[in-house]
Amino acid sequence: MTWTLLIAAGLLEVVGVAGMTMVNQQKNIRSWVMLTGGFGLSFLFLSIAMTSLPMGTAYSVWTGIGTVGSALVGMIVYNESRDAKRLLFIGMIIAAVIGLKLVP
Amino acid sequence: MNTKWFLVLLAGFFEVGWAAGLKHADSLFEWLGTAVAIAVSFGLLIYCSKKLPATTVYAAFVGLGTAGTVLLDMTVFGEPFSWMKVALIVLLLTGITGLKMVTHEKDVAAS
Repeated sequence: MTWTLLIAAGLLEVVGVAGMTMVNQQKNIRSWVMLTGGFGLSFLFLSIAMTSLPMGTAYSVWTGIGTVGSALVGMIVYNESRDAKRLLFIGMIIAAVIGLKLVP
Repeated sequence: MNTKWFLVLLAGFFEVGWAAGLKHADSLFEWLGTAVAIAVSFGLLIYCSKKLPATTVYAAFVGLGTAGTVLLDMTVFGEPFSWMKVALIVLLLTGITGLKMVTHEKDVAAS
Protein backbone atom coordinates (compact mmCIF):
# COMPACT_ATOMS: atom_id res chain seq x y z
CA MET A 1 0.00 0.00 0.00
CA THR A 2 2.76 2.42 0.95
CA TRP A 3 4.64 1.65 -2.25
CA THR A 4 1.51 2.15 -4.35
CA LEU A 5 1.05 5.52 -2.66
CA LEU A 6 4.69 6.42 -3.33
CA ILE A 7 4.46 5.48 -7.02
CA ALA A 8 1.22 7.47 -7.27
CA ALA A 9 3.06 10.43 -5.70
CA GLY A 10 5.75 10.18 -8.41
CA LEU A 11 3.14 10.00 -11.19
CA LEU A 12 1.26 12.97 -9.75
CA GLU A 13 4.51 14.93 -9.81
CA VAL A 14 4.61 14.25 -13.56
CA VAL A 15 1.06 15.64 -13.78
CA GLY A 16 2.21 18.74 -11.89
CA VAL A 17 5.16 19.38 -14.22
CA ALA A 18 2.88 18.85 -17.25
CA GLY A 19 0.59 21.40 -15.58
CA MET A 20 3.49 23.90 -15.61
CA THR A 21 3.66 23.55 -19.38
CA MET A 22 -0.11 23.67 -19.77
CA VAL A 23 -0.57 26.81 -17.67
CA ASN A 24 1.75 28.68 -20.01
CA GLN A 25 -0.06 27.42 -23.10
CA GLN A 26 -3.66 27.90 -22.02
CA LYS A 27 -4.65 29.57 -18.79
CA ASN A 28 -7.80 27.58 -18.11
CA ILE A 29 -9.12 25.78 -15.02
CA ARG A 30 -7.89 22.39 -16.23
CA SER A 31 -4.28 23.58 -16.43
CA TRP A 32 -4.38 25.06 -12.93
CA VAL A 33 -6.03 21.93 -11.51
CA MET A 34 -3.27 19.79 -13.06
CA LEU A 35 -0.59 22.08 -11.63
CA THR A 36 -1.90 22.62 -8.10
CA GLY A 37 -3.70 19.28 -7.77
CA GLY A 38 -0.73 17.36 -9.19
CA PHE A 39 1.89 18.87 -6.92
CA GLY A 40 -0.47 19.14 -3.93
CA LEU A 41 -1.52 15.47 -3.93
CA SER A 42 2.02 14.43 -4.86
CA PHE A 43 3.51 16.10 -1.76
CA LEU A 44 0.67 14.76 0.39
CA PHE A 45 1.18 11.16 -0.78
CA LEU A 46 4.97 11.49 -0.46
CA SER A 47 4.69 12.68 3.12
CA ILE A 48 2.32 9.81 3.97
CA ALA A 49 4.70 7.29 2.34
CA MET A 50 7.60 8.77 4.34
CA THR A 51 5.90 7.89 7.61
CA SER A 52 6.53 4.18 6.98
CA LEU A 53 9.43 4.12 4.47
CA PRO A 54 12.93 5.50 5.08
CA MET A 55 12.99 9.14 3.98
CA GLY A 56 15.97 8.78 1.60
CA THR A 57 14.44 5.78 -0.18
CA ALA A 58 11.03 7.42 -0.49
CA TYR A 59 12.44 10.70 -1.78
CA SER A 60 14.73 8.96 -4.30
CA VAL A 61 11.94 6.87 -5.79
CA TRP A 62 9.68 9.92 -5.92
CA THR A 63 12.27 12.16 -7.63
CA GLY A 64 13.26 9.36 -10.00
CA ILE A 65 9.71 8.66 -11.21
CA GLY A 66 8.81 12.35 -11.23
CA THR A 67 11.77 13.72 -13.17
CA VAL A 68 12.25 10.82 -15.62
CA GLY A 69 8.48 10.69 -16.18
CA SER A 70 8.33 14.44 -16.78
CA ALA A 71 11.19 14.28 -19.25
CA LEU A 72 9.41 11.49 -21.20
CA VAL A 73 6.06 13.31 -21.19
CA GLY A 74 7.82 16.57 -22.13
CA MET A 75 9.47 14.96 -25.15
CA ILE A 76 6.52 12.86 -26.31
CA VAL A 77 3.61 15.20 -25.62
CA TYR A 78 5.07 18.71 -25.49
CA ASN A 79 7.83 18.42 -28.06
CA GLU A 80 10.70 19.25 -25.72
CA SER A 81 14.22 18.82 -27.10
CA ARG A 82 15.50 15.20 -27.43
CA ASP A 83 19.10 16.35 -27.63
CA ALA A 84 21.36 13.62 -26.18
CA LYS A 85 23.38 16.14 -24.17
CA ARG A 86 20.22 17.52 -22.58
CA LEU A 87 19.21 14.01 -21.49
CA LEU A 88 22.72 13.31 -20.20
CA PHE A 89 22.70 16.44 -18.02
CA ILE A 90 19.18 15.75 -16.71
CA GLY A 91 20.40 12.21 -15.92
CA MET A 92 23.40 13.62 -14.02
CA ILE A 93 21.12 15.81 -11.92
CA ILE A 94 18.79 12.90 -11.10
CA ALA A 95 21.71 10.59 -10.23
CA ALA A 96 23.27 13.23 -7.96
CA VAL A 97 19.98 14.03 -6.22
CA ILE A 98 19.31 10.32 -5.56
CA GLY A 99 22.91 9.88 -4.37
CA LEU A 100 22.59 12.79 -1.96
CA LYS A 101 19.40 11.33 -0.49
CA LEU A 102 20.85 7.83 -0.08
CA VAL A 103 24.37 8.60 1.20
CA PRO A 104 24.14 8.42 5.01
CA MET B 1 18.78 34.38 -21.45
CA ASN B 2 20.49 34.80 -18.10
CA THR B 3 17.58 36.42 -16.31
CA LYS B 4 15.48 33.25 -16.58
CA TRP B 5 18.28 31.12 -15.18
CA PHE B 6 18.87 33.62 -12.41
CA LEU B 7 15.19 33.24 -11.51
CA VAL B 8 15.55 29.43 -11.51
CA LEU B 9 18.44 29.89 -9.06
CA LEU B 10 16.28 32.20 -6.94
CA ALA B 11 13.45 29.62 -6.98
CA GLY B 12 16.03 27.09 -5.70
CA PHE B 13 16.89 29.39 -2.79
CA PHE B 14 13.23 29.70 -1.85
CA GLU B 15 12.90 25.93 -2.09
CA VAL B 16 15.75 25.50 0.41
CA GLY B 17 13.90 28.00 2.59
CA TRP B 18 10.62 26.14 2.64
CA ALA B 19 12.28 22.71 2.90
CA ALA B 20 14.02 23.96 6.05
CA GLY B 21 10.75 25.57 7.16
CA LEU B 22 8.78 22.32 6.84
CA LYS B 23 11.38 20.61 9.05
CA HIS B 24 12.16 23.33 11.60
CA ALA B 25 9.33 25.88 11.70
CA ASP B 26 7.66 26.08 15.12
CA SER B 27 5.87 29.41 15.26
CA LEU B 28 3.02 30.94 13.28
CA PHE B 29 5.41 33.49 11.80
CA GLU B 30 7.82 30.78 10.59
CA TRP B 31 4.98 28.72 9.11
CA LEU B 32 3.72 31.81 7.32
CA GLY B 33 7.22 32.40 5.91
CA THR B 34 7.33 28.76 4.77
CA ALA B 35 4.00 29.16 2.95
CA VAL B 36 5.20 32.35 1.26
CA ALA B 37 8.44 30.60 0.19
CA ILE B 38 6.45 27.73 -1.38
CA ALA B 39 4.27 30.21 -3.29
CA VAL B 40 7.23 32.30 -4.48
CA SER B 41 9.32 29.31 -5.61
CA PHE B 42 6.45 27.81 -7.63
CA GLY B 43 5.50 31.22 -9.02
CA LEU B 44 9.04 31.67 -10.30
CA LEU B 45 9.03 28.14 -11.77
CA ILE B 46 5.84 28.77 -13.72
CA TYR B 47 7.20 32.07 -14.96
CA CYS B 48 10.48 30.48 -16.10
CA SER B 49 8.75 27.61 -17.89
CA LYS B 50 7.20 30.17 -20.22
CA LYS B 51 10.51 30.49 -22.02
CA LEU B 52 12.35 27.32 -20.99
CA PRO B 53 11.15 23.68 -21.21
CA ALA B 54 9.25 22.77 -18.01
CA THR B 55 11.30 19.59 -17.40
CA THR B 56 14.58 21.50 -17.71
CA VAL B 57 13.41 24.13 -15.24
CA TYR B 58 12.02 21.53 -12.86
CA ALA B 59 15.13 19.30 -12.90
CA ALA B 60 17.38 22.31 -12.23
CA PHE B 61 15.03 23.45 -9.45
CA VAL B 62 14.95 20.03 -7.74
CA GLY B 63 18.75 19.77 -8.05
CA LEU B 64 19.44 23.24 -6.64
CA GLY B 65 17.00 22.64 -3.80
CA THR B 66 18.66 19.34 -2.87
CA ALA B 67 22.20 20.77 -3.06
CA GLY B 68 21.20 23.80 -0.97
CA THR B 69 19.40 21.68 1.62
CA VAL B 70 22.37 19.32 2.01
CA LEU B 71 24.78 22.27 2.33
CA LEU B 72 22.53 23.99 4.87
CA ASP B 73 22.22 20.75 6.88
CA MET B 74 26.03 20.42 6.99
CA THR B 75 26.79 24.08 7.77
CA VAL B 76 23.88 25.21 9.96
CA PHE B 77 21.98 22.20 11.27
CA GLY B 78 24.99 20.15 12.37
CA GLU B 79 24.88 17.20 9.92
CA PRO B 80 28.35 15.57 9.62
CA PHE B 81 30.56 16.75 6.74
CA SER B 82 30.96 14.23 3.92
CA TRP B 83 33.30 14.32 0.91
CA MET B 84 30.94 11.97 -0.90
CA LYS B 85 28.17 14.52 -0.60
CA VAL B 86 30.44 17.34 -1.78
CA ALA B 87 31.40 15.23 -4.82
CA LEU B 88 27.73 14.59 -5.59
CA ILE B 89 26.98 18.32 -5.31
CA VAL B 90 29.79 19.00 -7.81
CA LEU B 91 28.25 16.41 -10.17
CA LEU B 92 24.85 18.03 -9.67
CA LEU B 93 26.09 21.55 -10.41
CA THR B 94 27.93 20.23 -13.49
CA GLY B 95 24.62 18.77 -14.68
CA ILE B 96 22.78 22.05 -14.13
CA THR B 97 25.47 24.16 -15.81
CA GLY B 98 25.53 21.76 -18.74
CA LEU B 99 21.75 21.83 -18.98
CA LYS B 100 21.84 25.63 -19.05
CA MET B 101 24.38 25.55 -21.89
CA VAL B 102 22.38 23.19 -24.13
CA THR B 103 19.02 24.90 -23.50
CA HIS B 104 17.77 27.42 -25.99
CA GLU B 105 14.91 29.71 -25.20
CA LYS B 106 11.91 28.82 -27.25
CA ASP B 107 9.99 31.28 -29.30
CA VAL B 108 6.74 31.85 -27.41
CA ALA B 109 4.79 32.12 -30.64
CA ALA B 110 6.13 28.75 -31.80
CA SER B 111 4.92 26.91 -28.71
